[in-house]
Amino acid sequence: MLGSLLTALTAAVERSQSAGRTTSERIRRFETEQLTLHVLAATVVFLIVLPVLIAALVSTKRAGIVTSIGDLVPGGHALSNYRRALIGLEFWRFMLNSFVMSVAVVVGKLIVSLLAALVIVYYRFPYKNAVFLFILFTLLLPVPVRFVPLYRLTTELGMNNTFFAITVPYLASATTVFILRQHFLSIPASLVETAKVDGVGPLRFLWSVLIPMSRAVLVGVSVIMFVYTWNQYLWPLVIINAESLQVAQVGLNLLRGQASTGEVAWSMVMTGSILTLLPPLALLVLFRRQLLETFTIQQK
Amino acid sequence: MVHSGGGYDHVSRRSVLKASGTALTVGTVGLAGCSSSSGASVRPVDEDSLTIWHAMGGTNGETLQGLVDQFQSETGIKANLVFQDSYEGVLTNTLSALDSGEVPDVFQIDSLFAQQVLDTDAVEPVENLLSDDYPVDDFLPNVTSFFTIDDTLTSMPFNNSNAILYYNRSAFEEAGLDPDSPPTTLEEVRSYSQTLVDEGVTDAGITWPNHVWFVEHFYSVDGQTLLDAENGHAGQPTTMQTDTETARSLYEWWHEMADNGLFSNPGIEAWGEATSTFLTEKAAMLMTSTASVTGIRSGAEENGFEVDNAFYPTIDGDRTGPVIGGASWFVPSGLPQDRQDDIGSFLEFMGRPESQITWHKGTGYYPIRQSAVEQLETDGWFSENPMYRTAFDQLTQAENTPATKRMLIGPARQVQTTIQDKSVELFSGEVGVDEGLSELKSAVEEQLNRYYS
Amino acid sequence: MSTREVFTDRLQAGVLLLPTMVVSMVFLYYPTVRAVGLSFYRASLARGDVFVGLENYRRLAGSSEYLRSVLISVLFAACVVVGVMAVALCISFLIHEINVGKGVYLVAVIWPYALPPAVAGLVFLFIAHPNIGIFTSYIEALGVDVNWFSNGPQAFVVVLIAAVWKQVGYNVIFMTAALGNVPESLTETAELDGVSRTQRLLRVYVPIISPTLVFLVIMNTIYGFFRTFPMVDLMTKGGPAGATNILIYDLYRTAFQFYEFGFASAKSVVLFIAVGLLMYGQFRLSDKYAYYGG
Repeated sequence: MLGSLLTALTAAVERSQSAGRTTSERIRRFETEQLTLHVLAATVVFLIVLPVLIAALVSTKRAGIVTSIGDLVPGGHALSNYRRALIGLEFWRFMLNSFVMSVAVVVGKLIVSLLAALVIVYYRFPYKNAVFLFILFTLLLPVPVRFVPLYRLTTELGMNNTFFAITVPYLASATTVFILRQHFLSIPASLVETAKVDGVGPLRFLWSVLIPMSRAVLVGVSVIMFVYTWNQYLWPLVIINAESLQVAQVGLNLLRGQASTGEVAWSMVMTGSILTLLPPLALLVLFRRQLLETFTIQQK
Repeated sequence: MVHSGGGYDHVSRRSVLKASGTALTVGTVGLAGCSSSSGASVRPVDEDSLTIWHAMGGTNGETLQGLVDQFQSETGIKANLVFQDSYEGVLTNTLSALDSGEVPDVFQIDSLFAQQVLDTDAVEPVENLLSDDYPVDDFLPNVTSFFTIDDTLTSMPFNNSNAILYYNRSAFEEAGLDPDSPPTTLEEVRSYSQTLVDEGVTDAGITWPNHVWFVEHFYSVDGQTLLDAENGHAGQPTTMQTDTETARSLYEWWHEMADNGLFSNPGIEAWGEATSTFLTEKAAMLMTSTASVTGIRSGAEENGFEVDNAFYPTIDGDRTGPVIGGASWFVPSGLPQDRQDDIGSFLEFMGRPESQITWHKGTGYYPIRQSAVEQLETDGWFSENPMYRTAFDQLTQAENTPATKRMLIGPARQVQTTIQDKSVELFSGEVGVDEGLSELKSAVEEQLNRYYS
Repeated sequence: MSTREVFTDRLQAGVLLLPTMVVSMVFLYYPTVRAVGLSFYRASLARGDVFVGLENYRRLAGSSEYLRSVLISVLFAACVVVGVMAVALCISFLIHEINVGKGVYLVAVIWPYALPPAVAGLVFLFIAHPNIGIFTSYIEALGVDVNWFSNGPQAFVVVLIAAVWKQVGYNVIFMTAALGNVPESLTETAELDGVSRTQRLLRVYVPIISPTLVFLVIMNTIYGFFRTFPMVDLMTKGGPAGATNILIYDLYRTAFQFYEFGFASAKSVVLFIAVGLLMYGQFRLSDKYAYYGG
């Protein structure tokens, strides 16, 4: 794909260079060139969407075996498949658990991180840099590095198989604190000075000045955190063993086992996959502007 | 063994370590966590209801739910089935639960992992929970012999099966093979497969999940134990028997099958994949559990072909018998007496002939009570359903030797994984047979030594 | 900057920081320290923990299986980084050069950022399936025997494609943003000088957006190392014959299938050091390239 893309690009460029003298010629050249680019872009989009498109088609079929492109016609079982997955096989429960977990983590993280960022930007106290480093250093400790001892710790606390286990350990986030800090630093300092002169306390300042001024960023980080939490797999896999508390990512595999009658029930697996994809996808599409804006801050 | 579903393909998760201590501060933490798996700290997951962890997906799961519903309405005892995806899933979650002290009342453990669970010293022999007049001697002897350790029935056998050969009669006919004389040896499987592929009937001849159970079967059918000390039933094994004609014949054949495209590899522990390959007629033969009879029969009907089954193929014609597979119910120790009584009622209910008949008909697992078998015979069930008959004959015609008792070892999961991984290298030709087998031997023995040291 | 620091009540500051500090301490730092402690024990099921000193590390150092896992992880991460970034760069450039409808293309390309890795794994398992995969028969018609359940290199490639597919969108987000910030004047100068498009991308844009690229190299490396776990778990389980047994999967298996917590902890410590080195590398590289970023 890559190679053909480059060749096509180069070809378009060369064509464009083969001299254009008059303006109309130039415009025409520009138009054909743009057309080529659009065709290329559409192809890229098609390729990226294709796997999920196939999954969506399969989720409307009964058996779900498609072995050639000719089999790729929508089946008439969409409604019954989704009903069976959600209600019959109780996938709604996994979805709900994932949703509650994600919302709890987003809200909790937001509060915790807002407070931390507030202190780091607007307070003067000794060892401030050390504190900030202490928070940033946790970037070195992603779940995969510590899930083994974390698992032991959680079971010893008797917190395995609880909602606590899949939310609280996620609440501290260096990334979110960092993004908020960067954003706060871009807000004019005069604002806080005025607030201080008017006798506004820190929490009040946070609530009525910072938050309203940070709406886009807050929405952006919320989407980032939601997607991150929703897509968690390894930790719920090891710490949750009650079906009633399991999340959608892991539940997909349970669905696979439960739906099968000896063979793999691919249409059910694809139905579950599409269901699992929908919530984060919807957020991304709805809040794409804020998300993109926030990402540009993260990288700084 | 089995799973009935695609269920097996997920590896286990979670675990536990019994003791704690450890860690941060070597001196101060101490061994406080040690007591968690025994004594007063044991408490049920759900006070109001029996909690049963199982690995029965699909139709088998539905049949199990039916039995539990019946149990509840008959006894008034509440019982809650919790599906754990696979035997590996139940194992890990169980070990973790025994460690934390918050335990399910009953858990379904694959016979492969029996020793690993027994090694926790946190399970109650079920013999203690059954009423004194419970007719234990009505169980089929080849079933109970595996679950009886040191003369004690440690767990309650429930769903037991062997591996068997299923074949596509329609495909056989199309290829000009006689559907009434299925292959019985490795060599015949090879030549049948060759014909099927040459005639363009199916892509491959045969498929089966890459699970240690099938290797165990080839050994036991040939009368060989996989490990010394009678596969672990007579002490701690230290040696894996790979320097044998059995092992070499098996892997040379397997490699040749794969090399010539006659064997379709569905993947490691990929039960559902293998069955799908067979049902979509990509392969005309399938080796899998007798417990899949019901699902495969209806699947074949849906896909429009005629299916039949036959005994597990032998290495060279001599047949000792298959290893018993499947799972049994284990119970944690330390639960209060009234709770244990309820659990006892549950076990007795699941083991009674009527339940076993329902279970057998709904799944294909063996009825493990002699009286249930007799009842089925009188009802004419076996003559009406020859596929169930074949499966059952394979069990009853087996000799009862050390070879037909599957391995009973602590590091079962490690050994299992090693054998499965090495099998891929061997059949794909990544290593030669002699070299691969000696690597396999030393890897397995290292695990045995480490565990038992 | 210091003018922002108008609040000085230390107690207040402490209280507000408390949640972050406590959660970090208990769930991030403590487990890490504990992993180090546990790595000196033989902690196996039903046996209690036994202090074994450096035994676990000795075993690691002598394990050819582990060495292989390290090499595979590095190779896999490297392929992910190169594959993802090359594809993403082309796509980003394409979108950058398009005059109308950029926003639509952008969303249509970046959405896999929201795609759950488990879903990516299952969907790819399905469409690339050696027996029933939708493209299998076409690829086989080209003379390739699709056999990735048995063939290690093939399995590696299939998981790699799934991993790249999922990660390209994330890269495009940052690359298009960076390309959008390239001064218009530079583009015009380049065009006047008759620099071809490909040259413009490689000679003009790439150096300018290099800070972004360095950032993405690190993010993609971490993704390749860790976040691809669900795909490996659902598609290959580390196989066949260890061909996709990346470190994180190997660690999971040691801990949660074999219940060797001490040994697994030693592996965690090694991973931790690897992440540390990566981050250190990022800081050094960012410093070096900061110049171009202006």
